[in-house]
Amino acid sequence: MVDVREDILARLLVVVATIPNIRSAYRNNLNIDETELPAAIVLDGDEETNDATDLSMRPAHRPTVVQFMPEIIIADQADLVGSNLSVMRRELIKRVLFDTALNDQIVKTGRNGNGAIRYLGCQTDVGWMRSLHGALKAQFLFKYSMRPEEL
Amino acid sequence: MIDFSADLYDPIYAVLGVPATLTIGTAGEIALTVIDKTRSKTQTSGGVETSSVGPGAYARIPELTANGIAVGECIGAVLTFNGRSWIVREAPVQGSPNGEDLGEVRFLLMKAAG
Repeated sequence: MVDVREDILARLLVVVATIPNIRSAYRNNLNIDETELPAAIVLDGDEETNDATDLSMRPAHRPTVVQFMPEIIIADQADLVGSNLSVMRRELIKRVLFDTALNDQIVKTGRNGNGAIRYLGCQTDVGWMRSLHGALKAQFLFKYSMRPEEL
Repeated sequence: MIDFSADLYDPIYAVLGVPATLTIGTAGEIALTVIDKTRSKTQTSGGVETSSVGPGAYARIPELTANGIAVGECIGAVLTFNGRSWIVREAPVQGSPNGEDLGEVRFLLMKAAG
């Protein structure tokens, strides 16, 4: 059984936990406490295919290309929270785009296959709590081949 | 006319007020009575809700005035009460039926460095 979507999400959780100074890393945990900050949360994202327009005679169980877009939240509280988020964003992007397991074994980019990993962008949000609270939501796109016979 | 200072604020601060110290730059420390209004607070960003506190305190403007302090001078000052020190980041005046100068100021606080 090969479930690339699940493998990507599981690997992302491992990757975000290696960002310097991250105190806690979760998957789909939507309620955290200030004592857990800085925190990184991997959110299972949406995925789509182009098969809605594929009306060919192709058998239903043949491989198809999936574009999967998980989201990663990074949150922190500090006087210089903006600078902190910038540092963690930089580390996040580097660690995802250069991760060997994601590129070579899971998504299979470059010489390994026809997969792709892209950084799509991020949104930020700030507000006052005990000190300045900031969060950054980053989106990545993972293009991979889904093979129904392997699921 | 009702004297809200005598009929309302005096008894409230007598019961709920705690001693505080306000340190404004080089002007030194003044003693105040404040009401601790630190409350739980959450911030939701990207669907993730983070729990923390929104530190705050109420003080009476006549008490500041008696010490020669204007509300605007309080921003950036250090307020110490209930065993913690905070920096005043905003100080919105709350007003009163007898006029804002006889009312309260709400100190919105942030964690002091260190």
